[in-house]
Amino acid sequence: MDIIQMKNVSFEYQQDQPVLENINLNIKKGEWLTILGHNGSGKSTLSKLLIGLLKPNQGEIIVDNILLSRETIQDVRKHIGIVFQNPDNQFVGVTVRDDIAFGLENLQVPRNEMVERIEKYAHKVNMAEFLNKEPHNLSGGQKQRVAIAGILAMQTDIIIFDEATSMLDPKGRKMILEYMKQLNAEGVTIITITHDMKESVLSDRIVVLKNGKILKIDTATNVLKDQETLEKSNLEMLLPLKVLRYLERENIADEKVRSYLWQLSLKR
Amino acid sequence: MAIKFKKVDFKYQGNDNKAYLALSNITLNIKAEGEFITLIGETGSGKTTLVQHMNALLTPLSGDVEIFGVKINRENVKKKRVKLNPIRQQVGLVFQFPEYQLFEETILKDIIFGPKNFGVDEKTAIERAKNVIKVVGLDESYLSRSPFNLSGGEKKRVSIAGILAMEPDILILDEPTSGLDPLGRNALLDVFYNIHTKLNKTIIIITHDMNTVYEYAKRVLVMRDSYLVYDGDPIELFTKKNIENWNLDVPDLLHLINQIETDLNLKLPKKPRNETELFTQLKAVLK
Ligand SMILES: Nc1ncnc2c1ncn2[C@@H]1O[C@H](COP(=O)(O)OP(=O)(O)OP(=O)(O)O)[C@@H](O)[C@H]1O
Ligand SMILES: Nc1ncnc2c1ncn2[C@@H]1O[C@H](COP(=O)(O)OP(=O)(O)OP(=O)(O)O)[C@@H](O)[C@H]1O
Ligand SMILES: [Mg+2]
Ligand SMILES: [Mg+2]
Repeated sequence: MDIIQMKNVSFEYQQDQPVLENINLNIKKGEWLTILGHNGSGKSTLSKLLIGLLKPNQGEIIVDNILLSRETIQDVRKHIGIVFQNPDNQFVGVTVRDDIAFGLENLQVPRNEMVERIEKYAHKVNMAEFLNKEPHNLSGGQKQRVAIAGILAMQTDIIIFDEATSMLDPKGRKMILEYMKQLNAEGVTIITITHDMKESVLSDRIVVLKNGKILKIDTATNVLKDQETLEKSNLEMLLPLKVLRYLERENIADEKVRSYLWQLSLKR
Repeated sequence: MAIKFKKVDFKYQGNDNKAYLALSNITLNIKAEGEFITLIGETGSGKTTLVQHMNALLTPLSGDVEIFGVKINRENVKKKRVKLNPIRQQVGLVFQFPEYQLFEETILKDIIFGPKNFGVDEKTAIERAKNVIKVVGLDESYLSRSPFNLSGGEKKRVSIAGILAMEPDILILDEPTSGLDPLGRNALLDVFYNIHTKLNKTIIIITHDMNTVYEYAKRVLVMRDSYLVYDGDPIELFTKKNIENWNLDVPDLLHLINQIETDLNLKLPKKPRNETELFTQLKAVLK
């Protein structure tokens, strides 16, 4: 079943300057999809369309069988959560606790459950000791962790992560990725926007955007080995695959080395 | 020495009336020329706080910081004995969040603001803007646009362009490559590296990307929980056993080399520092 359908969607911020053109994209329930593409290719814009923060100039978007419109937007937001690229844009609360609570109030989560969830997710992202602090006075990575906790706590069946780990240290990033895997295994549909090629290996499918158009959409494996497509959108191959390419060009890789490097690069 | 830290402590006063320790007993020297330093460490360890002391955006709670001979401490700042303008000109700092740096109506105005403020005439400032916008991978048409209606990576590029246009003696960049697309990241790291090699300038980069540390840095500083826990050679750092306790990781290149050497039973003559070196060594070994 397709949990998200984008049909012929176009969008422009300013007249006659299309930022997304004729996007057709179906995302299956329980799928993990990565969106890749050069700076300014339209990734964040696409994610804002999906949560109804922006309205398409053309085409329609269906989320969990609901056609997105001004009337249905509140319903749709019960199904889909987004961690914004800039965590500052997400904070509304005076304290970290208020901030996580805010999303839950909107979902009308009962008081006692709310308290429980706040504790649980603050611990998950290692921010429990900062619950009384003002979100704006945190370090970059701490802000990102709070933003993630706020969305996780809402327990929506679709979560979009717009470069949500870009300011985390290596260990923190691994932790969040592990958690994404776990959520996905539990059936949550995950959409990650990232510039980290290693992160994209974890997903089922990858869509590559270029100048507001879909350049390629295919399984993660097929996209990650397609050097031409990657380079067209300012992306790069994974290191083991680069090595493999080089050895092939130089004609010095035997079958064993080849299959070894191939497996290495796509290991999740 | 251009920048000297002597036993510097710093705390933030939180809204909850708690004091948050950000720097503890930092002693550090940075040369005016020829350094390529990466500053790394777990989130919240004090990296941003440390570099904000390097151009006097913050003043130490105790201890002192000396920037090109000017002593920055509580007393001097309180008595207004410190001229900040020359310091800001000599030490350029790109913020972690570009939003904190962009404020003008157009990108052009934003970029020329710094140079003009430091006495560069308008015409020269505009010429610099036209040049640096291309250096960061955007075309001239961006100059007339608003810095607010941009994608995340585009904002980052513009904020870097603004500091490059100031042509500071020391260039400090707080996570300049987070949010950049892979080719953009490589291109900008090369830009910083070229400024370093051609003009012999000191560059300091905060990053969570271990590959940047391994492939570019001559010296690496590691922060942990407000303390400076390592100041030295990057290669040596990654051979240490405790880097995981510092929330760090092994760079991709080293990781791959270790895997290949073990699984394919090979031995590379030298530890390659970049892809090209890896390729040539593998070629020699596999042939
Ligand atoms: N508020 C806005 N008004 C006008 N144009 C905008 C606005 N926000 C973004 N744009 C433009 O729309 C295009 C797509 O931006 P978007 O933020 O979707 O890119 P992105 O793929 O998320 O890039 P990044 O990797 O840098 O985050 C860019 O060219 C950008 O300049
Ligand atoms: N304006 C502020 N008010 C109060 N506390 C602050 C403020 N800015 C930072 N802190 C705290 O000071 C400590 C150090 O923060 P800093 O921003 O220097 O960390 P960082 O190493 O740059 O982290 P990151 O990698 O996440 O950007 C953190 O615990 C943070 O919560
Ligand atoms: Mg974006
Ligand atoms: Mg920081």
